[in-house]
Amino acid sequence: MAMPAFLVEFLQALAAGVTVGGAYALMCIGLGIIFGSMRVINFAQGDFLMLGMYVAFYLTTGYGILAFLGPYAGPIIGAFLAGPVVFAVGWVAHRFIVSRVTGVGAAASEGAGAYGQIIVTLGLSLILQNGGLILLGSTPTGIRTPLSRSSWEIGPILLNQARVVSFLVAVALVIAVYLFLARTRAGKGLRAAADNSTAATYMGIDVDRAHRIAWSLGVGITAVAGGLLASSQSFQPYVGFDFVIVMYAGVVLGGLGSILGAFWGGLLIGIVQQMSTLVLPYQLQNTAIFVVFLLIIFLRPQGLFGRLSERT
Amino acid sequence: MKNGPTRREFGSGLVLAGTMGLGLRPAMAQTREAKVAMIAPLSGPWARQGQLMRLGADMALDEINEKGGIKALDGAKMTVVAADAGDSTEKAKNAAQRVLAQNEDLVGGTGAWLSSFTLAVTEVTERAQLPWLTLSYSGLITNRGFKFIFQTSPTADRQAAETVPAALELAERATGKRPKTVGILMDNTASPVSFAKPLREGGFDKLGLKLVVDQIFTPPLSDATPLVEKLRAARPDFLLLPISSMPDNKLVLEKLYEFGLGKGRLPLVGNGAPFGSPELKKVIGPELLEGLLFSVADWPFKGQEELIERFKKRTGEPWMTQDSLTTYGDVWIFKEALERAGTIDRVKVADAIRAMNMTDGPAKSVFPGPIKFDDKGRRQDVPLIFAQWQKGEPVTVFPTDLALGKPYWLAS
Amino acid sequence: MSSSVARQSWAILAGRVVVLLLSLAIKSAYYQLVLTQVLLWAVLSLAWNILCGYSGYFSFGHAAFWGLGAYTVALGMINFDLTPWLGIPLAAIVGGLAGAVIGFPTFRLRGHYFALAMLAYPLATLYVFQWLGYQEISLPMKREAPVLYMQFADPRAYVVLALGLLVAALLISLLVENSRFGRALLAIKQNEPAAEAAGIDTWRWKMRAITLSGALAGMAGGLYGVLLLVVTPESVFGMLVSAQPLILALFGGIGSLWGPLIGAVVLVPLAEGLNGELGDVLPGIQGVVYGVAIIAIILCAPEGVYWRLRDRFAKPRVEPRPTAKPASAPAIAPEPRSIDGADLLVLRNIGISFGGLRALDRIDLAVRTGSLHGIIGPNGAGKTTLFNVIDGFLAPDAGSVSFAGTPLAGLRPNQVCRRGIGRTFQVVRAFPRMTVLENVIVGAFVGARDDRAAEQMARAALDRVGLADRASAIAGGLTTRELRLMELARALAPQPRLILLDETLAGLGHDDLAGILGVIRQVRDEGVTVLIIEHTMQAMVRLVDEFSVLDHGRLIAAGRPDEIVRDRRVIEAYLGRRWMNRVADALA
Repeated sequence: MAMPAFLVEFLQALAAGVTVGGAYALMCIGLGIIFGSMRVINFAQGDFLMLGMYVAFYLTTGYGILAFLGPYAGPIIGAFLAGPVVFAVGWVAHRFIVSRVTGVGAAASEGAGAYGQIIVTLGLSLILQNGGLILLGSTPTGIRTPLSRSSWEIGPILLNQARVVSFLVAVALVIAVYLFLARTRAGKGLRAAADNSTAATYMGIDVDRAHRIAWSLGVGITAVAGGLLASSQSFQPYVGFDFVIVMYAGVVLGGLGSILGAFWGGLLIGIVQQMSTLVLPYQLQNTAIFVVFLLIIFLRPQGLFGRLSERT
Repeated sequence: MKNGPTRREFGSGLVLAGTMGLGLRPAMAQTREAKVAMIAPLSGPWARQGQLMRLGADMALDEINEKGGIKALDGAKMTVVAADAGDSTEKAKNAAQRVLAQNEDLVGGTGAWLSSFTLAVTEVTERAQLPWLTLSYSGLITNRGFKFIFQTSPTADRQAAETVPAALELAERATGKRPKTVGILMDNTASPVSFAKPLREGGFDKLGLKLVVDQIFTPPLSDATPLVEKLRAARPDFLLLPISSMPDNKLVLEKLYEFGLGKGRLPLVGNGAPFGSPELKKVIGPELLEGLLFSVADWPFKGQEELIERFKKRTGEPWMTQDSLTTYGDVWIFKEALERAGTIDRVKVADAIRAMNMTDGPAKSVFPGPIKFDDKGRRQDVPLIFAQWQKGEPVTVFPTDLALGKPYWLAS
Repeated sequence: MSSSVARQSWAILAGRVVVLLLSLAIKSAYYQLVLTQVLLWAVLSLAWNILCGYSGYFSFGHAAFWGLGAYTVALGMINFDLTPWLGIPLAAIVGGLAGAVIGFPTFRLRGHYFALAMLAYPLATLYVFQWLGYQEISLPMKREAPVLYMQFADPRAYVVLALGLLVAALLISLLVENSRFGRALLAIKQNEPAAEAAGIDTWRWKMRAITLSGALAGMAGGLYGVLLLVVTPESVFGMLVSAQPLILALFGGIGSLWGPLIGAVVLVPLAEGLNGELGDVLPGIQGVVYGVAIIAIILCAPEGVYWRLRDRFAKPRVEPRPTAKPASAPAIAPEPRSIDGADLLVLRNIGISFGGLRALDRIDLAVRTGSLHGIIGPNGAGKTTLFNVIDGFLAPDAGSVSFAGTPLAGLRPNQVCRRGIGRTFQVVRAFPRMTVLENVIVGAFVGARDDRAAEQMARAALDRVGLADRASAIAGGLTTRELRLMELARALAPQPRLILLDETLAGLGHDDLAGILGVIRQVRDEGVTVLIIEHTMQAMVRLVDEFSVLDHGRLIAAGRPDEIVRDRRVIEAYLGRRWMNRVADALA
């Protein structure tokens, strides 16, 4: 039974959108945690993604540390391990730089924190990109794995294996993060600090530390997404730029402050990006993302799952 | 209350004076030197290309100076002043202006890889009457009525006019059948756009080809699935791939393979040097690339074997790419021009280049066809090179007298 | 005020002449190019500052205006042979229009949402221009009539042009800063709902700001296109272009006249210098150094260099602190006065829901002219929601509000204010660096014909609340009591007939409380009807003539204080028996 051509095309684009969206969803969750907890627009998020890509690369193809795991499992474990490594980098960055312009201390100084955040994260972004060029070189590189060119078939629809794996990993991590925030003390402390940092301080929650955890967790998770992407595409130190918009669109779409929202937002962005090619010229893929982004912002600014009022 | 203004004005004046101190380099007047500028992206997303260009330039410099420098200038040494075009046209233009301001005795220059950077840079160099060589092949570069720009690559529309018939011929010879339908998958940067334009506007019709899939994407490509799905549905007889960045190539080639269109099931013809980059091999592996044909303005060809070996030994690169090769050649062209002009007067050097009709010599050995520029600065009647991935390395296969390997049409 | 403006204008023009002479002395074409870029980026940053620095609405999308300006000039020249002398003014118009078109839907958003939405516009436009085939366009060289097409052989001509734009931008910023325009924007930044309630048509001012900002940015972008001669979507619509004015303004001093210029003068040559010196030596190091530099500076001077320097070097105002004299406070409330007079404010059957929650249900309220009416209730009862309905911030889904006989349905808050209703807000956000008088003038604009009248009204209001001697004090040094009084003065400045006080007494100590109570009573005695929300019963009991008690969105009791404290329902809902006994004794 042959499927009509347009249906095949439709389903194929949908499959691509969902699987690509998996990685987007994961990176959006990272950004969502940071934004939801700290209300910081982190311009360097894409560069932490890039770090994750490189960590995963060096662990597998680069230095071959995980070569014993083979070309299938290696990249996945490599991507996972990128998380803790970048978590540590983020921890240091927050401790010495970012915390000075965010959190309770900064909120006390009349909006100075808000301005400082932007410059500081922009500065971080510049340092990461250009430092990356110096340390890692300019040659575009990527993880070599047969996963990126093999697919599982469902009828005439092909599901790229690398993308499906990153989708599954993303879902697994979402559940883990959700449980962390809902069940553990650290997680609850994060949510309290996010809701009302002044009150949380009075309740004995170390807001600064909560923010540090949120920040490091956020960049670490996005780094895992980067590590997963490293199996699908090649990259160089300036690749982060390409993803910043996707991440922000996804987080806003899903609802600022909602982890689940960030997941669905990222997924939706992936779907819009790939399925827009069915009706629009391919060149306007990303314009379609922006149009959807703007529509959501206007019609439903709190996004799919966000809260209605933004506390100013 | 606001006593800021006067202080700020003074302050801004001070800073201005301060910046004048920045970057002042002592003028090297005494030692006779012939200086050539190289403006290319050394930082930013295209830093690798600038690095490759520099490798070629440095090798040429060393050879020229070891052999005694510019004889017509009493053995004056050649030097290359490198400047970073960065990641924006503003930076590229600033680099050009800076290099000119800080080196009043520049005789010429080469660069800037990205066609928009080349456009910006040459606006400056034209007004400074500095002869400029470039490998960028967008037609706009030499369509502005400029007198001091020399494009070593055939323009994109000319490349298109040659690529397709050559591919058709190869196909017909190999399979006995002439392809009837064609697809294009390309990005929307200037060179592919000017490559494809004449083809769409009647070029295909003249060759008896029907365009059945025509997809343009904005780089960087996020995922090639919807693109390749359309190809799978339409199954053209062969596919043109004018794609200018390696990461996008990787996505497309792997997706084609994944969809069962690799290994010749959908014959491919690429255009542009990124198809032959060592990074591509590192990232997707030689098996997927075997048999991939691409056209390019310049690629190591017959007669350059010794040059290639020297380059590989010196730099550790697996092979020489267009960026290194043509920049190497550009420096040699300037050497020749200086010999002929006998002076470091840039206008005379430009005249020398304009008058060139080199059919031999080290500069000529780098480029296919004679070194001769028309009044627009273009090289006419030079063959386009075709290279093919064979056994993990792209080798020139066409024109036959320049070939280092035999072409075959990968189809099954 | 105006003398300071005149002085600064002369400073600007004089400074320009200095820079001009200096630039003519510079011989290197390279430095002239960089100087031109410094000036152009300064103009963009000033344009950005007009919208964002003053109003607090952060835009990450000014590249949209800049890019449209550049393309207008470029495409005009390529397709219509239009000279940039006309093209650049046209670019200003295009930029202004774009500002209006973008502002119209986007101003419904606030804070981060607004900033992120603005991010989307230039990037979406970028892809559209690439799709349209404008990846690389190059302004044709006009050898025959170069001056006609702004193609000067001498790069200093561009410096002069850019300087002209900069002077215009500075003068415009100066005018904005010192006029009602600037004050309205600052009021919006400080507390938009309060500004709206004070009668400022926030919508209109924001639209004006973005249109002006877009026009300036478009003009600068047009000249940029002429300067670079090559226009690509990335170079004029890209993220870096949007980030640049932000970085410059934040570095130099946001919301100030000189900040963007300081930022441009320091950072643009710094970046270019780094590129030049280090770019070919160790590619990438220039980006690292630049990143480190801006982080270091912003940590030292979070609001920008200008404010930091001003705080350190500006002569501090020394105000003699007046000896505190608390207003006389009677220990027991005087006899409730009989109030005659028509109902000034009438609410009938007001209801409103949020999602599934019925926040207000069947509220009937009548406030008589000249009375002091209290609204009381536990937290979450809906008191502030009620004020928001009266004021026009929320539209009820049932019922009606009428003021002096005419309905208020559908009116925006600033229009409600114009009808004669003033309002204070719980969280007082003053401008710490401005004087008390300047803070209060904001409130006076709505009724005043001009700035002078506004100042007089502000002084009168300060007098009424007893802060007249603190008029020139810097607001950052005020006590809580004084802040509350200043807020009250702001609400009183336009001489409203009815004033809504939102938790004015919250958190005040005993003496301060007595003082403010006295002021409120005084205000009422002068003929202003007062409607006050509180939840501290003790203070209210001494103050008001009448009570309405809200609980869970419903009116559970209304009447005189002595009746209310004995009302069963009120006690159950709110007071508690022990409390009641204490108060009942006080009233007995």
